[in-house]
Amino acid sequence: MKNDHCSIHNAVDGLTGESTSVTEKQKQSRRRFLKGLTTMLGGATVGSMLTGNAISVAMAYVPSSDSILTDGKVFNKAQLTLLKQICAIVIPKTETLGAAEVDTHGFIDNQLFHCHSKAQQKRAIELLNLINRTAEKSFSTLFLNINADQQFNLLTELDRGELRFDQTQREAFKELKRFICFGYYTSEVGATQELRYDPVPGGFKGSIPYKSSDPSWSTRGLFD
Amino acid sequence: MKEQVYINKTSEVYDAIVIGSGISGGWAAKEFCERGHKTLMIERGGVVEHRKDYIGENTPMWKQDLRGRVENILVDQQHKIQKQCYAFGNNTKHFFGNDRDLPYTTKEGTEFSWIRGNMLGGKSLLWHRQTYRLGEYDFNANKLDGYGNDWPIRSKDIEKWYSHVEIHAGISGAKENLPNLPDSEFLPPFEMTAPEKDIQAKFAKLYPERPMIMGRTAHLTKPTELHISQGRVKCQARNECHAGCSFGGYFSTQSSTLPAAAKTGNLHIAPNSVVHSLIYDEVSNRIKGVRIIDNNDLSEREYFAKVVFVCASTIGSTQILMNSVSKKFPNGIANSSGVLGHYLMDHNYNSVASGDVSGFEDEYYSGRRPSGIMIPNFYYKPDPKRGFLRGYALGGGAYREGWDAQQHQDGLGIDYKNKLKQAGKWRFGLFAQGEMLPRFENQMRLHPTLKDKWGIPQIEFDVRFSENEKLMMEDATEQSMKMLKAAGLTNVTGRTKHGPPGLAIHELGTARMGRDPKTSVLNGFNQSHDIPNLFVTDGASFCSSAVQNPSLTFMALTARAVDFAVKELAAKRI
Repeated sequence: MKNDHCSIHNAVDGLTGESTSVTEKQKQSRRRFLKGLTTMLGGATVGSMLTGNAISVAMAYVPSSDSILTDGKVFNKAQLTLLKQICAIVIPKTETLGAAEVDTHGFIDNQLFHCHSKAQQKRAIELLNLINRTAEKSFSTLFLNINADQQFNLLTELDRGELRFDQTQREAFKELKRFICFGYYTSEVGATQELRYDPVPGGFKGSIPYKSSDPSWSTRGLFD
Repeated sequence: MKEQVYINKTSEVYDAIVIGSGISGGWAAKEFCERGHKTLMIERGGVVEHRKDYIGENTPMWKQDLRGRVENILVDQQHKIQKQCYAFGNNTKHFFGNDRDLPYTTKEGTEFSWIRGNMLGGKSLLWHRQTYRLGEYDFNANKLDGYGNDWPIRSKDIEKWYSHVEIHAGISGAKENLPNLPDSEFLPPFEMTAPEKDIQAKFAKLYPERPMIMGRTAHLTKPTELHISQGRVKCQARNECHAGCSFGGYFSTQSSTLPAAAKTGNLHIAPNSVVHSLIYDEVSNRIKGVRIIDNNDLSEREYFAKVVFVCASTIGSTQILMNSVSKKFPNGIANSSGVLGHYLMDHNYNSVASGDVSGFEDEYYSGRRPSGIMIPNFYYKPDPKRGFLRGYALGGGAYREGWDAQQHQDGLGIDYKNKLKQAGKWRFGLFAQGEMLPRFENQMRLHPTLKDKWGIPQIEFDVRFSENEKLMMEDATEQSMKMLKAAGLTNVTGRTKHGPPGLAIHELGTARMGRDPKTSVLNGFNQSHDIPNLFVTDGASFCSSAVQNPSLTFMALTARAVDFAVKELAAKRI
């Protein structure tokens, strides 16, 4: 029986092409998911069912390492390059990859185009222009050319709406941060490596121990 | 499901036709089939096969188109209304009606959000699965204050039918022995979190009349042999229910009633069959069958049966009756009373309150509970000093903030990233679920000129929340905030909203039951007063909305009505 589950697991991994990227925890979850189903249905049905559950894989945004090399749908190359650097500053690489490494900037470009208003798109572009304009005013050069401390300080001021920035500009930056966070924590790295991912919990436990070094759950119900 | 279950053209005269395949239709079909009656279930939308067609299920966010959001253009063109439903998203949108094809109007100055699930299984795939019995106070409410007509049934009439459907469907919850909310046949309840238990204990001391209980929900916390025989296993606590659940963890037509009906060999299903109207024979005073417009090619066909159960959703069912006109019934079939279309109700969710819970930093939970806590209606006894009639229940729950709540704080870089990685503070919130009075003025009618693409007159809504509902929501916000503060929560905020009716997706009334044929459409068995072989067993039959989520009562009323109809058929009275 146990072997059956393993072979189905491998078969499904093979079919969905995930065997190289899933973590051990994900595999355990997946096994639990499959175990419940195979008990009822038998392996072949489970295999076909899971491959059928791929609503829009073809349309999903696929992260790319060179999204800044061409103009995007909302941002041009220069704006994408600037946005990539902002992503890297807001959510940097630590033990896990950061927002820039998982192409959050490319994701935002795609998401803004498809799911957000023209006004929001315009606000994002204006914000990028503001960041460059402010760098030019203070340092006579573009944001990307000032040093890491200067970049960090400039964005921190913007984030607080202090000194060189006002509250409206601060709100626009908060909105951009929301796009960055959404893009990062719903990416595969953000959801499964930075946070805890458990697609099939197997049941609800109302109380488990927690210490501050534990990551929070990335997995949510559909509408929490 | 076997291919031969689905039919298109047939001249067979069935024992029973069931219009609709949602919660009520699924139950009607199961009960007829299990009593050996050849049954035709008619569904206006396409087939959704259990498991196979849950195309949004189990797909990680990063693999979903637009990470679960829906394209602007698509929303604007096809889902302008449906998008208002909290459950509308990329991996559920195929279960919602298409607003472009399903137009309706509202009377000037009024608003109504009509959420539709037009496919096999109907809204049983999309429902929120909270399940509560109506109790004696609920059945008495209209009689006591004179709003609406008296329910023709009481608890004793429906108790055993509640038990009947609960055992089959699987309802999780705890026995509480409350005067205002009868217990069900329960599977074990979901667990509360540590802060919820703490708040529960505080409320028990501060507000002994307002006990806080675990929400009751149609999920298999511990499946019985019966559930396993339906092909269902334990709820995995994914809380992605609206995308469909291959485990059968929650009750739906597909997971529960359809397999039971199909097993009998007595079930046929006619998908893509939009019911235009009922075929009425004036000589025998019986419904002979139904006229269908094909969902896809708009061709016409007819189906015939000895008895017809209309389970097409509250508004859908009444639309069919209204569009079935004859010399004897010029204003809609079975409408000799003239109340058809009137007394439309919904629930009112226009009050929310929440606050921070301090402490419990070493507590967390695992899994995603598909339910919350519930404080049953504590205004179940009328009191003129209250300033409004009826009452509300409070739902809610506690959770720890994650990245999405914490992202708004100031900060950048490693510190910010590390903060968002951790579970944040605990929050606890309440929302009200208020009763809406049955009022004659609140109604739906057929539009005099506008039709849909199947040639069926569009619905025009004329529905408003009254002053009573507004006062009730203001009270709910005030009480909720007071209770949260008393329980020691901080940063307590509350808000009374002014959302239009419809979005609770608890449409009720419009073909109400009653003892008097002059003032009601249906009798105490959901049977038309006017035409003995016509039954309406969904929410249209309700006399009052109570505060409880109504689906469990749809199930019980339907099963009870089938039992009655089968006996009447045997006695040749219908």
